Formats: sequence, structure tokens, C-alpha cells
Amino acid sequence: MYADLFSQLTTLGSSGVLLFGIALLCRRSLHTFVDAFKWQSLVLAALFVVVGHFGHAPELYFVAVVFFALKVVFIPRYLERLARRVSAERESEPYVNITSSLVIASLLVLLAYAITRPVVLASQLPTRGGLPLAMGVIFIGLFVLISRKNALTQIVGFLVLENGIALLAVLGTFGIPLIVELGVFLDVMMGFLVMQVFVYHIHDTFESIDVEQLNQLRH
Amino acid sequence: MTFVLLLFPSLLAALLAYTVRPYRVVVGWANAWLSLVSLGAALAFAALVLAGSEAPTFGPSELLRADGLSALLMVCVAAVAALALFFSPGLGRESQYDGAQLRRYHVFVNLFIFAMLLAVSANNVGIMWIAVEATTIFSAMIIPLALTKASVEASWKYILICSVGITLAFAGTVLTYLDFVALSGRAENALNWPVLLSAAPGLHPEVMRLAFVFLLIGFGTKAGIAPMHTWLPDAHSEAPSPLSAMMSGVLLAVALYAITRWKVVVDAALGPSFSNQLLLLLGLFSLLVAAFSLVIQRNYKRMLAYSSIEHTGLICIGLGLGPLGVFAAFLHLVCHTAAKSMLFVLSGEVLHRYRSTELERVSGLLKVMPWTGALFMSGILAIVGLPPFGLFISEFALIRAGFAAGRPGLMAAVLVLIGVAFVALLRHSNRMLYGAPPEGVAIGEIGRWRIAALFLSVGVLVVLGLTLPAPLEALLNQVVKVVAK
Repeated sequence: MYADLFSQLTTLGSSGVLLFGIALLCRRSLHTFVDAFKWQSLVLAALFVVVGHFGHAPELYFVAVVFFALKVVFIPRYLERLARRVSAERESEPYVNITSSLVIASLLVLLAYAITRPVVLASQLPTRGGLPLAMGVIFIGLFVLISRKNALTQIVGFLVLENGIALLAVLGTFGIPLIVELGVFLDVMMGFLVMQVFVYHIHDTFESIDVEQLNQLRH
Repeated sequence: MTFVLLLFPSLLAALLAYTVRPYRVVVGWANAWLSLVSLGAALAFAALVLAGSEAPTFGPSELLRADGLSALLMVCVAAVAALALFFSPGLGRESQYDGAQLRRYHVFVNLFIFAMLLAVSANNVGIMWIAVEATTIFSAMIIPLALTKASVEASWKYILICSVGITLAFAGTVLTYLDFVALSGRAENALNWPVLLSAAPGLHPEVMRLAFVFLLIGFGTKAGIAPMHTWLPDAHSEAPSPLSAMMSGVLLAVALYAITRWKVVVDAALGPSFSNQLLLLLGLFSLLVAAFSLVIQRNYKRMLAYSSIEHTGLICIGLGLGPLGVFAAFLHLVCHTAAKSMLFVLSGEVLHRYRSTELERVSGLLKVMPWTGALFMSGILAIVGLPPFGLFISEFALIRAGFAAGRPGLMAAVLVLIGVAFVALLRHSNRMLYGAPPEGVAIGEIGRWRIAALFLSVGVLVVLGLTLPAPLEALLNQVVKVVAK
């Protein structure tokens, strides 16, 4: 019963993370886009606590707190400020429209199920049901990255990709070793800060953050 | 202790550059001399490994470790870092950058060097991943030292493509750890390379196959393996020349090092044929893309960047050919590091004088700057694989390893593609070296003594072409012992 509850909760949580990832694909205004990312991160932070409790891995509580501070509070706030500063409220037409995006997203989730089959079969964990969903989040993050033309949305796509890997790690291993986890957080934060510096650079040199203009360098 | 001497100088240098505001010339020189301490430590590790001692480790749960493979890469990284720092902007002569830009450059270039040294000395593959990711972040900060459309574009592509790639490599790392945990439970040191290696034979082959694909795509992005190479020519050509020298000379080597580390683990789980086939395939594809891109180049820094992709491809092919190939691949890596770092440093001198990176605008280099021109010519002759330079020997060894491994068809293709690259590179560089200098270009060297220091690089290449020094041979044999048992 106890193990059942654990596996149900984690599958539910992973589905939530995936759903907010898919929700990103239907959002056009940057504000709602960042919001969807914030909710996704929040569900993921809660999932850390659930796995920490049921999986007897108390250090995950600590990881959850850092994750919450970084991805639910710090990064979304910065993204909002960035969006205001470069006054990019709406995104230009993406390469793929919303309907086709959703079809592609469902295909990506199917693909995720196909390629994680050996991993799920090899695992005995009660959390294994969520592993394909985590891979799905990774693919959707990649898809957001390549289908959008706006530097800010690309950053969010990258962050969603990272959320997918964090989900994979917590479900598959109940957390990677703490020292590695902390290093990853440090990298995420530095990477994010550098990327937002570049959004300003792109805005200053190109007078817009539409990355379609980045086409000076060929061959 | 030696680990501290290896890693600490670059951190100290970054701190120094950060605290001294505004930038002063003496900081640049102090940083350059500090880098020699790291080089000394790296050589000490090489000597330790050659003396046959057990791989030294350091820190809580053996965070750092230096075996033959690490020692070889440490020496390469530290040597190129020292070279690049002595040729960095802000060491006295006029430069196009202002004080704030120079300060930023010196802070981040040293952090970049620190991250590369950490990547090759980390024992924990998670820490290795963190360090490789950090190299992207630090180097991206200084590619657009002077903000232009091209440099901003190049660095945006660089940080985005490489961050995504490297994140996929982390997915591979997590998948391996996941399988490890399923096999033997959670352990704090499970990501330590020797622990991972000893557990590898029990890991699930299907999971390891998936993990290696992620790892190869991830670190391969950073190594400039086609088709993930698209950021490389942009970033290498837009970066300040000493940074290009490091990115092309050793950053690619660091990424290949990470791939090699993982290949050993995956081979222990799967047998070598899976990783070998993937490496051969991607290596050949990189060679193909690079050879034909070289033909149509119009920019000499991009030309050098594509040549790096060509050599990355060759090294991948070597890694996929068994013990003989691994020996050739790492010899090739050392030679390429020596030649390409010198060429990028020289391209900085050429750019300084001609004010253009277009091949069309550069001619008569041998008349304008006789020493720079001569060095540039020898560098080009070295990277196209002519004797008496080291790359001739390593390419020859690589082809032989291919025939010995029973792959004559593949080797024929490799020879043809090397031939295409050979013709393209020689044609472009002839244009640069000969002919009449364009009007308005001053005649004469920029810094004679510093240029003279580059004869050291040529010396290394010639020595490697004529003989294989016993210590290097012993070190390479150590590497082969680590990589392909």
C-alpha cells in the first residue's frame, strides 16, 4: 500500500511536469510562458520532497529547497525582468504552429517511451513508471529550443531540458551524489546568468531578440 | 600537494585580475608567469606516472586523480595555456581593447584554464561533467570582447548549442548512475571512475548503449564532431586569438578526453565493437564535412577551425581502431595541439597587421612579416601532414592501425579526404604567403622576441616528426593501457 502510494504520487508528479512542458508549447506571450515554467519547477520541487520522504533520502529535502529558490523564485523573476527590459512581450511567429507543435509533442512522448523501455525493464524501483515521462520532458525542451525564434524562449527551452534531466535523476536514482548536485546547480545558475547577459548583448547589437537575425556567419 | 600547484595558480590569477581595477600590464605578466607553475605541476604528474607509481589521488572521497591519460592531457592543457597567456592582449603593446575588456578577459581566461585542468584531473565523472560545462560558460563570456554582430552571434550559438549538448551528456551520466544504483545500491563514490569501471561488467548492456549515445552526442558537441560541429567555426573565428588557440588546441582535446573516459566504461560493459563503430562513423563524417568545407573557405581563422574538425575526426577514427589506433590517436592529439595552438596565435599577429580575417585581403605575408610568415608556413605544412613534422608520423601510424584492424576501405576513404583537405589548405595558405602585399600594410614584425618563442612549438613538431622521445612513448603506452586493455 505504502509502496503503491509512492509510485502513484511520483507518476502523478512526473505527468504534471510533462504537462506543464507541453503547456509551454501553446503559450505565446512571454509572461504566461515563464509562468508555465515556474509551475513545472514547483511540481518538480514537490516531487523531490516526495521521493526524499518515501525513498529515505533526507538530503533530497535540502536539494528541493535549493531547487525551489533557484528555479521557482530566482530564475523566473529574472526572466520577467529581462522580458520587461528588452520589451519583448509577444513572440514573433514560431517556426511551427501550435497545432502541429502538439502533434509533434505527442510523437516525442511516444518516442520517449520507446527508447526508455530497456531502462524501465532494468529497474526495480517503484518510481520507474515516471522515467519515460522524464525523457519526454527532455525531448520537449529540445523541441522548444529548436522551434522558437526568440532568445528568451530558447533559454526557457534549455531550462525545461534541465528540468527533464533533474526528473530523470530523482526518479531513477533518488538523487545523484550531493556534491555533483551542488555543482550542477552552480553551473545552471552561472549558465543562466551568462545567457541573460547575452540576451542584452543581442538586444543592444541587433535591436531585437529575434534570433532569426543571427545569420551573419555562414560556411 | 601537486594537485594544488596544478589548479591553484589559475584561480589565483583570476582573483588577481579581478581585484586589480583598473587593469594593469603587470597583472597580465603575473598571470603568464603563474601559468608556468601549473605546467611544472603537470610535468611532475607525468614524471610520477612514468616512475610507475599508483595513480595519485587527492581530496575527500578521492575527488581528483591522475593516471597516464590525465597526465598527458594536463601537460597539453597547461602548455597551451602558458603559450596563450604570454600572447594575450594587454601585455604591453597597443591593443584594440580598453581596460575593462582586458580585465574581463584576464579574469575569465584564467577561470577557463582552471575548468579545463579540473576536467582532466577530476576522478568523479560528475565533477568532470561540471568542469566541461563550466569551460563553455567561461569562454563564452570572452568571445565577444568587442561587441560586434558577428561576435555576439557566434557566442550565442556557442553557449546555446554547447550547453544543450553537454546537458545531454549529463543525461547519459545519470542513466549510467541509475543502472549502477539498480545493481549495487546508492554510494557516494559511485561516480568515481575506477569504481564505475569495476562495476561496469555487471551493468545492463541496453541501458549502457543508450547512455553512450547520449554521452557521445553531448561531449561530441563540445569536441566539434560533425554533425554537432556547427558552433565551432563561428566561435573559433570570432574569439580573441589566444582564446581560439586554447579552444582549438586543447578544449577539443578535453572533450575527446571525456569521451575516451566513458568509452572505457562502456566497453567494459558492452565490449568495444559498439563504441568503436559509432566513433568510426562520426569520425569519418567529421572528416568529410571538414574536408569539403575547407575547399570553400574565405576566412583564414575559419579555415583553421575547420582543420580542427578534420583532426578531431581523425582522432575519433583512431580511438575506434583498437590499441594501435589509440596510440596513434593520442600522438596525433599531442601533435595537433602543438601545431594548431601556434597557428591560432600567429593568426592573431596576422590579424593585427592586416586588420582583416578575409583570405582575399591577406597576401605577401612572407614579405610583410618574414618570421611570422615562415612560422605560419611550417604550421600549415605540419597540419596537412607533411614530413618532417609530427602529424605525418601520427597520421601514418593511424592509417597503419586501420589496415591492421582490417578496415582497408575506411582507410582509403580517409586518405582521399585527407588529400582533399591537403590541397585546400595549401591553396589557401599559398595565397596568404606569396604575392604582393596589399597597399597600406606596414612591413615588419610586431614583437620579434615573442615570435621567436614560437620556434619552440616548431621544434616540438620537428622532434616528434623525427623521433618518438622515450618519455612520451612511455606515457602514450600508459594511456593505451588505461584505454584499451
